Amino acid sequence: MKKIIAMTLLSAMVLSMTACGSKEVTEEATTEAVATEEAATEEGGQLVMATNAEFPPYEYREGDQIVGIDADIAAAIAEELGMELVIEDMQFDSIIAAVQSGKADIGVAGMTVTEDRLVTVNFSDPYTQAAQVIIVKTDSEIATPDALAGKTIGVQLGTTGDLYAEDIEDATIERYNKGFEAVQALTQGKVDAVIIDREPAKVFVEQNEGLKVVDEEFTVEDYAICIAKENSELLEKINTALATLQESGKLDEIKAKYINAE
Amino acid sequence: MNTELGKTPLIEVMNLTKKFHDLKALDDISVKIYEGDVVFVIGPSGSGKSTFLRCLNRLEESTGGKILFEGIDITDEKCDIDLHRQKMGMVFQQFNLFPHMTILKNLTIGPQKLQNKTKEAAEAEAMRLLERVGLADRAQAYPSQLSGGQKQRIAIVRALCMKPDVMLFDEPTSALDPEMVGEVLAVMRDLAEEKMTMVVVTHEMGFAKEVATRVIFMADGKIMEENEPGQFFEHPESERLKNFLSKVL
Amino acid sequence: MFEKLMNSFLHNFIEEERWKYIADGLFVTLQVTFFAVILGIFLGFLVAMVRSTYDKTGKLKLLNFFCNLYLTVIRGTPVVVQLLITYFVIFGSVNIDKVLVAVIAFGFNSGAYVAEIIRGGIMSVDQGQFEAGRSLGFSYFRTMIYIILPQALKNVLPALANEFIVLLKETSVAGYIALQDLTKGGDIIRSRTYDAFMPLIAVAVIYLLMVMLFNYFVKQLERRLRNSEH
Repeated sequence: MKKIIAMTLLSAMVLSMTACGSKEVTEEATTEAVATEEAATEEGGQLVMATNAEFPPYEYREGDQIVGIDADIAAAIAEELGMELVIEDMQFDSIIAAVQSGKADIGVAGMTVTEDRLVTVNFSDPYTQAAQVIIVKTDSEIATPDALAGKTIGVQLGTTGDLYAEDIEDATIERYNKGFEAVQALTQGKVDAVIIDREPAKVFVEQNEGLKVVDEEFTVEDYAICIAKENSELLEKINTALATLQESGKLDEIKAKYINAE
Repeated sequence: MNTELGKTPLIEVMNLTKKFHDLKALDDISVKIYEGDVVFVIGPSGSGKSTFLRCLNRLEESTGGKILFEGIDITDEKCDIDLHRQKMGMVFQQFNLFPHMTILKNLTIGPQKLQNKTKEAAEAEAMRLLERVGLADRAQAYPSQLSGGQKQRIAIVRALCMKPDVMLFDEPTSALDPEMVGEVLAVMRDLAEEKMTMVVVTHEMGFAKEVATRVIFMADGKIMEENEPGQFFEHPESERLKNFLSKVL
Repeated sequence: MFEKLMNSFLHNFIEEERWKYIADGLFVTLQVTFFAVILGIFLGFLVAMVRSTYDKTGKLKLLNFFCNLYLTVIRGTPVVVQLLITYFVIFGSVNIDKVLVAVIAFGFNSGAYVAEIIRGGIMSVDQGQFEAGRSLGFSYFRTMIYIILPQALKNVLPALANEFIVLLKETSVAGYIALQDLTKGGDIIRSRTYDAFMPLIAVAVIYLLMVMLFNYFVKQLERRLRNSEH
């Protein structure tokens, strides 16, 4: 499945270079083409998005492009606002600091709204719902979140999985810098389970033999875009843009493109 | 003189050669050194005399020939050279005292670590010898606090502490200021008088004439002439030696 | 201003006992550094002995080859990569204590640098010292131990001390294998409070204090060694 996406994107890129039109191509090309043109023609300027491109299918690298649900949604929002989207890739735990300090305008990184985060930044309306799930080896006895007590759990530092895992009784939390490293540690038997967002979990399980997602979700949560506290004007604009995209079905289209591709 | 036939030499060098690549530093050297001999080796620089001396305790590895020391071939790979070296005291041009140890420690480390002497016994012997060379008051000093002459006297004592059967001197006064040469030679003279077997490489011709039982003249890696000192200095036979003596005397 | 700093301090370190991340991390950092230094010195000595024996006598050719290979690989690759390889490749299929993994990775890394420092020290000791030791009847090995190494070590003490400071600071990448060292401790706080200033500055200050303290002890040691030989 993954290969098919890659192939499509690759062929899309080839096609766009030879300037042959198809639906796939126009969609791919929008991010760059529209952005560059509009930066020159319209008054909007740049919309800098901070993300951590190691979180498929929300954001990840495909060749030298950062793609994924978040990247496409941000591109669609930028288009609505008439701005040029610039993506800054950084460590996940630096994103909020970047937004807060004005180094980035928005943080779009599969980010869950939490009380702690609300102290520092504002969040847009949720653009999708996600769940934290548990990945285990197929022969694992862990079948429910309760069974995690006393286990060694791998998470990605600073993610919601990391925050919630702390509350698990007697569990040892191993905080990896990258989600895939936590999964690698799981396949190597270094941790008993990994708590991570549902969508990347699906990809990881598909790509690694002998892993499965535990049926019962660990938590269910909303993903939203974070914006600096002072920047309430941008917050409104983005909420309006999100509403428009929801209305037009564009949001679902983007999500379907990545999630239901398999 | 102990050179009569029938006695076993303390050191017998047989056809010793040493090559550095194509250059022959030692070319077929044969010498017998008997107990009580004081053998001086002289010659121009580059004649191979230092190399010869350093081959005797294998600081320099020879490339051919044999060295019998107390009847044992020490050029044999299988012999434990460390054991034989304890019996051959060596004194260097540059003293080579151990700078990180006190004088006393310089003198006792060998006997203590190699001959299993107790600290007390080793120190008593060291102090006795220090007394003899007049440096007992410097026992707790470090080498860097001593003059060159004092260092060389200590170096001689360090070798003596091992109770060697032979003492090898490699230009012991060449690195000294002139006014310090005398004190070192005095110690060596005492040793010779005590019938210590000695092999001395030096440029001190007057001292050789006075102390040696035999003098060897080396040039181009070969022994050119060998004689008792009277004959050697008064009636040199070879032209090379005459020439050499006329320059240095 | 002061109140703001105070609040930030409380938020970052006191609330939810977040200072514990720093304290636990510091302990891990010290643990890893301490044992890695010991391993590094041990390996460094071994490699330096092999290499300088080869340099001096031409013996141990094969061992020298492997030592050279070790030095080339370790000094030619970043320590983070070595750490990741140790964790995910060498110990890929075993569940091994991460502190041990870090000690092994950093110890082997440091060993390469220590080896070259000590070898330099050995080669800087006058050849006459070596001959004096051998002529007394000391074996090659005992000459090294009693005569050459004490002088070599004194010469290279500042370089060795510097290597250990580098090692202490380099352990800050231990977080790459999810080991919660001092740096990672600060990172965890940062990921909870979204405040960069307090946790990072605190971590930096702790490293700095450790390095300064260590430097102080080294200076004392150097002074004592200098006094013992004029």
